Amino acid sequence: MSRTYLTLLDPLTRLVGARGAMIVSAEDGLVVAEFLMENVKGSALAALAASLANRVARVVETSGRGAPRFMQLQAKGGSVFVALAPADLILVLLTGPETAAGAARLEMLQAVERMG
Amino acid sequence: MIDDIRAWTAELAADPSSLIFLRLGEALRRRSQMEAALKVAVAGLTRYPHLPDAHDLYARILSDAGDLERAFDEWDMTLRLVPTHAGALKGIGFLYFRAGENELALQHLEAALQETPDDEGLAQAVERVRDLLQPPPLEPVEPEVEASAPPPTPDERVLLVDAGGLPIRGRLTDPAGVEIGERIGALLAGTAREAARAAGLLSLGEWQGLLIECTQANLCLVKPTPETYLFEVQDPDVPIGQLGLRAERTARAARRWLEAMR
Amino acid sequence: MRTVEPWVAEPLNAFVTESSARLTLLMTSSGQVVAQHGFAGALDVMSAAALGAGIMASSQELAALMRWPPFRIMVHQGRAQGHFLCRFQTPRGWWIGLVVYGTDTSLGLVELFFDQLVEQLLAATPHEEKPREVLTADFEAELNASLRALFGR
Repeated sequence: MSRTYLTLLDPLTRLVGARGAMIVSAEDGLVVAEFLMENVKGSALAALAASLANRVARVVETSGRGAPRFMQLQAKGGSVFVALAPADLILVLLTGPETAAGAARLEMLQAVERMG
Repeated sequence: MIDDIRAWTAELAADPSSLIFLRLGEALRRRSQMEAALKVAVAGLTRYPHLPDAHDLYARILSDAGDLERAFDEWDMTLRLVPTHAGALKGIGFLYFRAGENELALQHLEAALQETPDDEGLAQAVERVRDLLQPPPLEPVEPEVEASAPPPTPDERVLLVDAGGLPIRGRLTDPAGVEIGERIGALLAGTAREAARAAGLLSLGEWQGLLIECTQANLCLVKPTPETYLFEVQDPDVPIGQLGLRAERTARAARRWLEAMR
Repeated sequence: MRTVEPWVAEPLNAFVTESSARLTLLMTSSGQVVAQHGFAGALDVMSAAALGAGIMASSQELAALMRWPPFRIMVHQGRAQGHFLCRFQTPRGWWIGLVVYGTDTSLGLVELFFDQLVEQLLAATPHEEKPREVLTADFEAELNASLRALFGR
């Protein structure tokens, strides 16, 4: 796995409550790079996050409000954060409920900038 | 105070792991030395990432510096660590009050008062919020989702749909003023199902909301009831943290309206 | 949906629902169709199954030639459509899944839910039934019986 991508993912995994970070191909939902805790199924996270991101993109396009750049799926037991990256990639972060959303968002947007 | 700051600074310099950073950071904050206060707080948090008082200190500094979104996150973290932390309850209570969420403000301020019953300033704040929440005189008023939503803007921005994506209330137009409610509603049903599936299969439990930051707006999808979805569009300069709060407020109005309809 | 084995129906139905696949064929490694679900249209299902089995068989041979472990999954990805082939073991022998999917889903989702399908099929396979010996003399009759069951001829 590319060292560059792992370097990008490392700060995300250091956030309090982070369970896994990955770079995913948006089109086919396949893992490009991942850094996960042992009980996290990367292929599932990748496929589901990409599918959700694609659906959101259709909503945004229909609404005429530009393009999505960041999203957070909030659930009782945690969140899935997705940031859209260049080259049809997405950056995905799976967290528990204790993760500060503001910190996650900032780290992810900074990581996307570095990918650009 | 200056002597204390000097002494605490020396103590912290001699022992960077000392918890004196809490007192030092608070003192610097009270003197509006924000940059120094931030440095002390962040350094302390780095050493003690699970210390509730450290998050509380950081939140107070962020709040004074006007970064309310991050302040909220830090107090939220404090409460996750200690659900009865008075400082965090008070802080979040005031943030909700500033956002116009008086019910949530009262809930948190009352909880803080339970922990610190001798705090006179807090007791007064609780009374004030209670007064604001006095029910209005009884008169027949048709509940409106829009009445509780942010001020109307040229394009309509709030849409309530059923589980199948059929619009129930509200309107949605694109920036050119074209009605798009039905199309968006149809997409929302699938999006909500996808959100539920993702949350379920990733063992996150029940999904609660979807916040979306776009280049030209911020969008939010929440579930006022198990059978309905609420979609709200906000200007991009509204902080994304506030988006969720506003959507929750609109969702509460939607629930009241749905109850009244039944 | 058409299936020779009734216990295949529920897992296959769940897979198609979750993955949004256009067409799914489950077949034995020799290309005999066990189940079919989706929009076949004018597609010659039996030929598609035979070809799918042939592709998997030749890829196994290629892997053996290269001294690699056998391939489990093969994907042909087009612009608007993809074909996903997956070989998996069941108590009834090796089976192959051929999944045709479009742009309303993704390879990641197809793979994710196909893995679930395999788990569910393994759990649903009746264990009390021993595989019947196929004698040469009965083979033709068995094949015709399964064709009749599948296509109602």
